[in-house]
Amino acid sequence: MTQLLPCLAALAPLTLAIAAFMGTEAGPRAVAGRAIVAAAIAFGIAAAASLAAAALGAGRTPLLGGHGLGLSLQLDALAAILSVLVSFIGLVVVRYSRNYLDGDPGQVRFTRWLLLTLAAVLMLPISGNVVLLFAAWVATSLSLGKLLLFYETRPAAIRASRKKFVASRLGDAFLATAAVLLYIRFGTLEIAGLAAHARAGEGAGSAIVTIAALLIVATAMLKSAQLPLHGWLIEVMETPTPVSALLHAGIINAGGFLVLRLSDVLLLATPALDVLAVVGGATALFGSLVMLTQTSVKVQLAYSTVAQMGFMLLQCGLGAFSAALLHIVAHSLYKAHAFLSSGSIIDLARASWTPSPGGQPHAARLILALVAVIGLALLTGLAFGMTLRSNPAQIALGSVLLMGLVHLMANAIDERPNAFVVARAAVTAAGVAIVYFALQAGTAWLVGGSIPASRPVDGVVPMLIAAAVVVSFAAVTVFQNQMMRRADAPFWIAAYVHLRNGLYLNTLANRLVLTVWPRNSTSAPSNP
Amino acid sequence: MTQAALAMSMTDPIDISADAGLMARIDSACQRVAPLWPLKHFVAVNPFLGFTGQSFAATAATFERVVRTRMLMPRAYYRQALDDGRIDDAALAQALQLYPSTGLDIEALKQKARAEAGPSSPPAVVATVAEVLDRLAEGDRYVSLVAFMIDEISSFCATYFDEGQASWPSPVRKLKPYAAWRKLAAYDRNPEMMGLAGFRRAIAELPADPVQAIGLIVDRLGIPGRAVEDYLVRALFDLGGWSAYARYIGWNAGLDGERDDTLLELLAIRLAWGYALYQARADDVVKAAWAEAMAEAAKLPADQRLEETPELAIDLVLHEAYEIACRSKLVAQLAGHGAQAALTRLPARPPVQAAFCIDVRSEIFRRALETAYPEAETIGFAGFFGFPIEYVPIGHSRGGAQCPVLLKPAFIVCEAVKDADDIEQAEVLGLRLLRRRAAKAWKSFKVSAVSSFSFVETAGLGFAAKIATDSAGVTRPVPSPVIDGLDPEIAARVQPRLAPGELGGRMTGFTDPQRVAMAEAVLKAMSLTGPFARLVLLAGHGSTTVNNPHASGLDCGACGGHTGEANARVAAAVLNDWRVREGLRAKGIDVPADCWFIGALHDTTTDAVTLFDEDDVPATLAPDLARLKARLADAARLARLERSALLGIRDRSNVDEAVIARSRDWSQVRPEWGLAGNTAFIAAPRSFTRGLDLGGRAFLHSYEAARDDGHRTLELIMTAPMVVASWINLQYYGSTVNNSAFGSGNKVLHNIVGQLGVLEGNAGDLRVGLPWQSVHDGSRFIHEPVRLNVFIAAPESAMDEVMQRHPGVRDLVVNGWVMLHSLSDQGAIRRCIRPGEWRAA
Repeated sequence: MTQLLPCLAALAPLTLAIAAFMGTEAGPRAVAGRAIVAAAIAFGIAAAASLAAAALGAGRTPLLGGHGLGLSLQLDALAAILSVLVSFIGLVVVRYSRNYLDGDPGQVRFTRWLLLTLAAVLMLPISGNVVLLFAAWVATSLSLGKLLLFYETRPAAIRASRKKFVASRLGDAFLATAAVLLYIRFGTLEIAGLAAHARAGEGAGSAIVTIAALLIVATAMLKSAQLPLHGWLIEVMETPTPVSALLHAGIINAGGFLVLRLSDVLLLATPALDVLAVVGGATALFGSLVMLTQTSVKVQLAYSTVAQMGFMLLQCGLGAFSAALLHIVAHSLYKAHAFLSSGSIIDLARASWTPSPGGQPHAARLILALVAVIGLALLTGLAFGMTLRSNPAQIALGSVLLMGLVHLMANAIDERPNAFVVARAAVTAAGVAIVYFALQAGTAWLVGGSIPASRPVDGVVPMLIAAAVVVSFAAVTVFQNQMMRRADAPFWIAAYVHLRNGLYLNTLANRLVLTVWPRNSTSAPSNP
Repeated sequence: MTQAALAMSMTDPIDISADAGLMARIDSACQRVAPLWPLKHFVAVNPFLGFTGQSFAATAATFERVVRTRMLMPRAYYRQALDDGRIDDAALAQALQLYPSTGLDIEALKQKARAEAGPSSPPAVVATVAEVLDRLAEGDRYVSLVAFMIDEISSFCATYFDEGQASWPSPVRKLKPYAAWRKLAAYDRNPEMMGLAGFRRAIAELPADPVQAIGLIVDRLGIPGRAVEDYLVRALFDLGGWSAYARYIGWNAGLDGERDDTLLELLAIRLAWGYALYQARADDVVKAAWAEAMAEAAKLPADQRLEETPELAIDLVLHEAYEIACRSKLVAQLAGHGAQAALTRLPARPPVQAAFCIDVRSEIFRRALETAYPEAETIGFAGFFGFPIEYVPIGHSRGGAQCPVLLKPAFIVCEAVKDADDIEQAEVLGLRLLRRRAAKAWKSFKVSAVSSFSFVETAGLGFAAKIATDSAGVTRPVPSPVIDGLDPEIAARVQPRLAPGELGGRMTGFTDPQRVAMAEAVLKAMSLTGPFARLVLLAGHGSTTVNNPHASGLDCGACGGHTGEANARVAAAVLNDWRVREGLRAKGIDVPADCWFIGALHDTTTDAVTLFDEDDVPATLAPDLARLKARLADAARLARLERSALLGIRDRSNVDEAVIARSRDWSQVRPEWGLAGNTAFIAAPRSFTRGLDLGGRAFLHSYEAARDDGHRTLELIMTAPMVVASWINLQYYGSTVNNSAFGSGNKVLHNIVGQLGVLEGNAGDLRVGLPWQSVHDGSRFIHEPVRLNVFIAAPESAMDEVMQRHPGVRDLVVNGWVMLHSLSDQGAIRRCIRPGEWRAA
């Protein structure tokens, strides 16, 4: 019975692909209407299969092929959660696109590529073999490329898609090489088989596995727009809003999915996880600082995605795999809404008047609060036997939560504190903390069978990373609360300018792309 | 250039006369730019505002030769109109008469129309540095420097003018723009990363004063005297969007009688960029190319001469013919109706008089109401009902200017809760402030560098439900700013407070003498001095859309891009005040005791009409009120049915739901057609047009010349509503003929920047005007690019006098920006060529 569940789940992408290839004589509105029906069916199928898997247990089909290579499907908790997520976002985006692109001469083409992209993304989580996973991986990237170049005469769209092309093909090559290495070492590319070997401790510390793990991690970082090749993500606003919503909610996190899917293998090579944590953490800080300086809503959202993906990969690197999955799901829903509703900023701005002359809490008070909260947390941790050495991930991620709460409190008690305001801020902060822990525990329980609970703490590196996270995030918190609005000293002006330009990484990438692909057109018509 | 040379040029005594000449040129170039209002209160602007002093044709030539921008449709559009028979030979013949210099006859013109326009437009009268560099770099590895420069300046402007999008605001916002930009440029490595060596040094070496910097650059680049102003104009239009926004800031300062140099400073930034580009790339090839370009610029003749651009002349003739054909249909329709006009008889005292805004969308609704309620009389008047107010919402200290942008608010009116005592008012205020502070704290939690990660993990999942309900149109993506922070029960009770008061040291409300004076002025301007119906409806208008950056552009232009609710309610309340009625009687306007004014709001998206303060209506009028409400509901259905065709609603049985669904759809890019199609402005008694289907394309202003002492009202109409209507008309015109220059491009790519405007895609210049989706339905243009045809039922001599007193109005008419016609009782229509010269149309 459970063997059939993955097949049922595979009907979802199949439905979308069939709808994409059906005739288009009926006209754009009919095509769009049909796409909505297909997306609704796909969502229904994905939800039904996932619920069934939750009730009956994870399922896996036999391998169609031989020697550990070929096609196979699996539906475990990770696959079920992501299938439901992606098909839900897909339904919303397809529905949104019907009216949004009404009258666009390319609406039919748009709808078809949208459906194909969704179908490819939906194949990713249910792939049971790295061969199929690789195929879905490449198909996602290629069909998404068509959507990103939907207005193919826009110079900025062309530039961005070229940058993405480079990053994607590099990622494809890394993933393919990693697959070959894994096959050489383990003799199979069945994901379950790889996991079984890995859990048995085979290949731990071997060079070939370590290289494979590093390549997998690099693939994930390229897919999820990590430093320094994040530039393409910032520039893909040259395509209709629903594509951005789908990209930021459903596709960009494929890097995280890859890490989670192959997490058992990655646990054999902790240096790869360390790299992931360092790059992810650096990207998280970079992205969120640059985000603060951006003035357009979509670019701001894009930097926010870069940061959130960095944080998610940091969680992976620290071994907090279930937390990373929660982050993927929550971020997808948040970001899909943020993009689709990005036209509402003016309404928000009209409602965002300043109720009283702004003030700031005293610097010392915030720092005291920060120190007190973190110190208290460390003490609590100590009481439960958690130290930076034994539980670096919990300490680091817990501190990030606490700093968030400090920020919330500091802002709530902002100008004219009275007992009511302070009390309400405290209640809000406590509420946030309770929700946070409940969701973390819930996710860990839900996916307990399909992804590892943590990584081994080996050596001093995880501890150093955790300490670096705490210190750097705390520094940013203090900066943002105390200095940002008064930062007119030369040092801060320079910091502002450099950050506003994304540390010039994107300009350098653009120049590189222009060296490879010279171009002379300077402008293009914008109207469809 | 060496440091010493520069230092010397800066310490040289400034030649006063040369400096004055430069200043005049700068001012004149800045005057060419039309302002752009921010999206919070987006109003229509005539994109050719700076050119109305010259003729339409000369402006087309100027745009082509100076800013390389087309302001006519592509020739294929006119060819199609010829093929469809919409342009006939008579129209072609008339158009040719207007341009005898083309030397064409009808057949030759038709032949020209068949051919595509010439291969390339002539070169601009003066080149820019970036353009010359781009031309030289063709095929090499450099990115377009024009595009890069615009991205960079636009990015600076966005940080400088940002209204609160970035959490980390620009640290130099307190400086003036040029100084701020120079300060940032000292640290900014981006141009150098792009390969522009020495960019920072070049900027640092420029004078700190923007005018001196402009003078130095013009001098150093060797721009010939003849071409200086053209060069400045080109530079401003390279960055047309932000220039327009800077001009808006200057416009507002101008209303307060102050001078503002924001645009001049921006010009200095733009020139400095070009100069630094030149410095970075000035090898021998570039220098030679630039010298050649400047030699060309020195030679070229004045740009107003059409003979220089024969292809443009042909397109101009075709465009005139197109307009003539449209106009003759309109003239025939109005003239034909003139005879019937007398037949429509209304009761001496109608049961209802309903005044709507002159907005073209009101035409459909008024016609529908007259069908549903034949005894009713409808009136057209600017939707602010003569009350230029600043309306301050609860909790705010300042409000939006709810009046045409040509005016400054004369009164401040505060929002208040109806029938609430001081304690309740204070409670409502306190609660709203508290909620606002809580919302601010939560938003800060959401968008801050570190807390945003915790936000996502705790609140992210909740967006699943939000996406589902927003998608279904059950909820709005964000709360409506009007009622945000108020309980629904309270929100239903808010109303404008008329009683005099004080807010932050400013006087609010109206004193008794002010009320009487305002009431008298408004009634006279509306030609509504009796007989009065039992119920007089004053309906402002607004739109209901969600997730639409340009939402306020669909609201009332006469209320400065706000809904007309507050103005209509204020006007009704003043006119219902018994002391005002007494005062009016003293001035000879007798409003009977059984007459009641009702403020209302016409929702142009759904055609629903909401009545306000119904509780205050005297009980004796209850049956009248009930009948009016029923008729308004019938009229709404009729209006929706009429609009459904253009909205592309095919299911006739479901029109009401379909129209209303559009107003709640977050993915809808065409919730309504706004003022698309506008083509006429008619100031006349309604009998001249009643029964005529004008297709929602005419601004209708009620006007009776016989009641107009000394033609004061005529003067008002021709200087205010007519001008505003022409702004709207030319905004639609520009966005239709060349959306990439005068419009805001494709709505699906819009990216709101600085909470004030849109970019198309991730970067580039700020965009002006209307989105492509507002004028085009995907298969055809819904708006026809036709200049406004004005018809006024008034003596020609009186109109001549108004034009003589107001050169701005005269320019609009004489230079062909509006087509002014006189309309006589007998249906005769004559067109004004210039004051004193009227010809049968």
